[in-house]
Amino acid sequence: MTRGNRVLLACVYWAFVLYVFVPLLLMILMGFKDSKFIGFPIRSWTLDWYTGIFSNTEVLSTLAYSITIAVASTLISVVIGTWIAVLLEGRRFLGRAAVFALTVLPALVPGIISAIAFRIYARWWGIEPGMGAIIWAHAVHNVPFVALVVMARLSTLPKSQIEAARDLGADPIIAFLRITLPYLVPAILGASIFCLLLSFDDFVRSFFLGGYDPTLPVLIFAKLRSGMSPEINAIATVALVLTAVVGIWAERFTRRLKKEADA
Amino acid sequence: MSNDADAQARQTTGAQTATDRPFWGRVAVWRPYRMLVDLVTASPRRQFLILAALPVLWVLTQHLGPMVQMLRVSLTDAYPVAPGVEQSFTFDNYLRFFGDRIFWQPFFRTLMFASVLTFCTLILTYPVAYFLARHVSRKNQMLMLLLLLIPFWVGEIVRTYAIMILLGNTGAVNLVLKWLGLIERPIPFMYTGFSMGMGIVYLTALYMLLPLYSALEKLPKSYGEAAADLGAGAWTRFRRVTLPLTLEGISSGCTLVFLISTGFYATPVLLGGPSTTVFAETIAGFFHVAGDAWPTGAAFATIMFATALLLTAVFQRLMHALRKGDTK
Repeated sequence: MTRGNRVLLACVYWAFVLYVFVPLLLMILMGFKDSKFIGFPIRSWTLDWYTGIFSNTEVLSTLAYSITIAVASTLISVVIGTWIAVLLEGRRFLGRAAVFALTVLPALVPGIISAIAFRIYARWWGIEPGMGAIIWAHAVHNVPFVALVVMARLSTLPKSQIEAARDLGADPIIAFLRITLPYLVPAILGASIFCLLLSFDDFVRSFFLGGYDPTLPVLIFAKLRSGMSPEINAIATVALVLTAVVGIWAERFTRRLKKEADA
Repeated sequence: MSNDADAQARQTTGAQTATDRPFWGRVAVWRPYRMLVDLVTASPRRQFLILAALPVLWVLTQHLGPMVQMLRVSLTDAYPVAPGVEQSFTFDNYLRFFGDRIFWQPFFRTLMFASVLTFCTLILTYPVAYFLARHVSRKNQMLMLLLLLIPFWVGEIVRTYAIMILLGNTGAVNLVLKWLGLIERPIPFMYTGFSMGMGIVYLTALYMLLPLYSALEKLPKSYGEAAADLGAGAWTRFRRVTLPLTLEGISSGCTLVFLISTGFYATPVLLGGPSTTVFAETIAGFFHVAGDAWPTGAAFATIMFATALLLTAVFQRLMHALRKGDTK
């Protein structure tokens, strides 16, 4: 490949980096603007919007609500997703392809359709819109990601390890708990963080299944509909920093765990 | 029976290191646990059934259930059913779709937008994926990929808002254009197909980038070198070697992005205008505002999902044929 091509492609990459970062950086900057009016240029700066939201009980309780939903739905997704992965990986049985197709189905249904299908289904079971309904919808939506990640990890587990444990007298349950599960930990943790972020960031399911209490994205959406203000930038920045920090930490952490587990 | 169990338990504990023997050893000989193990592992068949019961039940009731229920509701005349009223079967909800322009116009607009935006995303991300996979050392690849992942952990609403600030009349783009002296009055980017498209591409780019990257990364560098030795120029090498061998990544990336793009609701509401109403907004209208008509909403959602699946199936078929044709 010629040198010119390489430089050109590098420029495209860095332009793309700018494209994905600049809008977010501008949004963060706007949260420090000392004026109610959103727009450039920014002439004077303030931290008032941040002190404002951290003394605003509505924002804080919404944050707690979103985190509770994320944790609860992740716990469900992880247990079910791992269970499905253990069933599907390396086993042949009648209907395996059908179970696999159904497992990934929620990940392929477009957002709005998934949201209203859950809304109708919740109504059918008599579940009122609110926290329980959102947790359930997020849990179902996230199961495919856990199942796929855990299956990928499980497929690299040397069969001989399980056989050795069984030869030494471990029953299937102990062999699973002491060999398979520790081997899966990096994948399970990675998938959990991914589910936490998906749930925390989700708008459409939370919007259609929510009761009176909004989740954080729903709160931002509602505020945006009644007009832009640097207060929204401050709230959005808090959400952004939380997700980015958790994401980066998880990426590093799971990579290290994987290295340790493989060593 | 219990002798057997004890013997087995002793064997189990014997295999373990001294530090953790007490705990697992005690578990293994604990009578209720032994009974559980004997119950579960009585036969391979029973073991399988116990393992399979929960996943199968879950995917049937939780993954398939909502879709089936949506389909069922779409074929009824009223839902939720008022007390004392008989619910009856009808196709009217589907017929309503064809009856009014305000229904089918957003539908075709959505399909068109999604197709065009999928193509734009492909054009935008292919060079990026190509650069990462072919021109960057292994170690830097992970770092540079991670750099791109960070913005994509940020949620849909926050990123949509960022685009609003970027493109607004007093936004950064207009400020820069004015500063450069290119314009006098701000260009109204917002509430148009452009702002909406920009927002959606921003949200979906990663779903295209990752499949492309993994397809390109799997492709051995020697293929290109061999083609070069045989006298192929850069463009020919790309067209005859790289492109055909990454069709699979292109195919899965496009499918994913297309399906996701058809499902956005908040982004078109916030970034689009009256002339860019998408079908998601039409569907949502039946669940929210005064026109509370769940069966019609369910029917419209079914129409959209069926069409999107059909189109992606046809697309994948085409890509498959293309791949077969190229290897011949």
